Amino acid sequence: MLISAAILFLQTGCWSKDEIEDLSIYIGMALDIGEQSKVEKELEKQGAGYARKKTMTFTIQIINELKGGKGEKTPAAEQKAYINVSETGDSIFEMIREFSTRMERPVIGHHLKVIVVNEKLARRKRMDQLLDFFLRDNDIRPSAVVFISKSKASHTLETQSSTVVPAFRLLGITDNQYRSLKIMSPVTLAKLEGKMHAGMSYVLQNVVSAKGEVAFSGAAVIKGSSQKLIGFLNEKELVGLMLLSGQGKGGQIKAYHEERGEVISYEIKKLESKINAIVKNGKVTFEVEIETTGRVMEEWTPSELEINEAFTKQTEAAVKEEIEKLVLSTLAKLQDKYKTDVAGFGQRLRIQHPKVWEPMKKDWDEEFSQIPVTIHIKSKITEYGATSRR
Amino acid sequence: MAYQAKDRITSIQTAVILANTMLGAGILTLPRTVAEKTGTPDGWISVIIGGFLAIAAGLIMVMLSKPFRGKTFYEYIGQITGKWLGSLISLIVVGYFCLIASFEIRVLAEVADFFLLEGTPSWAIIMVFMWVSLYLVTGGINAIARLFEIILPITIFVFVIVTFFGITLFDVDNLRPVLGQGVMPVLNGVKTTAITFTGFEAILIIIAFMHRPEKASKAVIVGTSIPLMIYIITVVMVIGSLSVDGVVTRTWPTLDLVRSVEIEGLIFERFESFLLVIWIMQIYSTFTMTYYAASLGLSQMSKRNLNGFLYGLLPVVFLMANIPKNLAGVFRMGDFIGNLSLYLFGAMPLLLLAISKLRGHKGEGISRK
Repeated sequence: MLISAAILFLQTGCWSKDEIEDLSIYIGMALDIGEQSKVEKELEKQGAGYARKKTMTFTIQIINELKGGKGEKTPAAEQKAYINVSETGDSIFEMIREFSTRMERPVIGHHLKVIVVNEKLARRKRMDQLLDFFLRDNDIRPSAVVFISKSKASHTLETQSSTVVPAFRLLGITDNQYRSLKIMSPVTLAKLEGKMHAGMSYVLQNVVSAKGEVAFSGAAVIKGSSQKLIGFLNEKELVGLMLLSGQGKGGQIKAYHEERGEVISYEIKKLESKINAIVKNGKVTFEVEIETTGRVMEEWTPSELEINEAFTKQTEAAVKEEIEKLVLSTLAKLQDKYKTDVAGFGQRLRIQHPKVWEPMKKDWDEEFSQIPVTIHIKSKITEYGATSRR
Repeated sequence: MAYQAKDRITSIQTAVILANTMLGAGILTLPRTVAEKTGTPDGWISVIIGGFLAIAAGLIMVMLSKPFRGKTFYEYIGQITGKWLGSLISLIVVGYFCLIASFEIRVLAEVADFFLLEGTPSWAIIMVFMWVSLYLVTGGINAIARLFEIILPITIFVFVIVTFFGITLFDVDNLRPVLGQGVMPVLNGVKTTAITFTGFEAILIIIAFMHRPEKASKAVIVGTSIPLMIYIITVVMVIGSLSVDGVVTRTWPTLDLVRSVEIEGLIFERFESFLLVIWIMQIYSTFTMTYYAASLGLSQMSKRNLNGFLYGLLPVVFLMANIPKNLAGVFRMGDFIGNLSLYLFGAMPLLLLAISKLRGHKGEGISRK
């Protein structure tokens, strides 16, 4: 009895525990080209330097635990809900561990949600190299979402408000995908890994920021073979891409009435896009069928025009034309300017004609830019909202 | 007094033990190992073929054991091959079971150290685990069977739920085209998938404990179908979500699938701990069964008490688990076990069966009962 009781004291519970109060949880991370912050420069003057190339500056966003504690009315109104800290160096892991020498609570990556990469950095460095650490680490989960920023990446993780956590804001915006075609499905590390390893080209959502506000603006195109950023799709072209690839979940298309030139706003309720790879005499062509159904939610045409079948036909034609314009401009940019396939044409060829795909897959982006694509669009209007007659 | 097979288990328990022994370390790596070999998304077909091969091999073993009712492999092998050769084969089989046992706990230590208990020394993880297993094994085959009966439904339930959440990432296009590069890639993967079913050889031992050994064939079929289903679901979900190219670079792809999913609004946002819990239970059951089979072999060969061998083998298995120097070594050890299993339990039973038939062992055992 005594022995068993004595043994109880040896039962320590957790071997290598870290109390959560003693850790800093980082939820967002921004990668910029090397540019030291004022604090860092000051620290280095005092002699806090180590051997490194200053190629990257990275900023992590840590949840501010002092704020939002037990409802005490401290002057916390001034305090933000997060803390951003930066380091400069050439190894992300080294920089993360460097924080251990600067903060009393070590940082942990279990809850990393967003990674923002600056455009200039993405043009210089390979994506798979930049993201290598995140995929290797045992704390960081592959569910983290990757963005590109045309502005300084760390600025997208800033806000003036004391209640908003910028990393969560970015993540929250991706949830609005069903309302706008300008928002892509979030690209997580898990999805990226396969594309990077296969050498496929892909797009990443571009985020711009000004004065602590952010906006999703188009997408960055990453070339598969070089894994570097080669250019951007603007917002319209991204809409075209969403329609082309059928990735869009819903959103709005603005068209103009043919004769009167007045605004007609069409809400897509259902979007279907099918890419067909056709091989004839060893030559590959693509046929895309895009079908949208939706309703008119706003129209400014004068009231003498009645809403009848003819009007519906006209409107449908206007919407169709608009979609066609969007899709064709995107396609032109992808095939002629960037010479990359980010819309999934290669995937369809791989699935439908695996034997043809196999020899082409190495230079697919180049091959793709030469392949003719025909597009068929059908747009249906099912209703006119709550206003049915004038 | 030599250890005799006195305890009896039902055919359902036999199937459960088989399923639990088969499900083990492999489930976390299977999608990668298959995709590496096939290079196409057709891995799931390889899994099906591998499963059927395992069933076939299991049935051959049942046929082999049939004339020797109530006897384990160790007890009757001498009658087929002669005493000396029989002892040698038994020793190899014992060594093989020890190898599996040590491999399982080593993989457990690696994963626990990387994902769960960073900083806890692996000997601490392994030893606690082994002691708990020892405790169960001293209870005999009935205790093992009853615990396994509890473990298996929990495993299936949690597994189905956890992989179901992965559906948000699932994309059928990652699994297409089916047989795009012909049948060859699928066949390349079969060896790998057949190996993940190792554990079915436990039937050679537990058939002796069966209440009604004539139902052994059914138990093999049912017992193998459960892991077969689980493996198919795993490969389909993981490759379907991460794509072939995404899978081959990941060390523990199945875990990565679950780590890639976050469900908002539920009590839990992350589910990898659940997967790891059932996975550890499966490692536990595989370890327990192989460790038991190895000790039983030594006990029956030397006709001495089982308990002594149980305690004696524990440090041996522990030392064997520490042989591989790094993770690559661990995976090589796994490959070695797989190859050994192909010869030992793929080819050898057929040979033994032929000899046994020639010597006319038909029905002898039944008359002796």
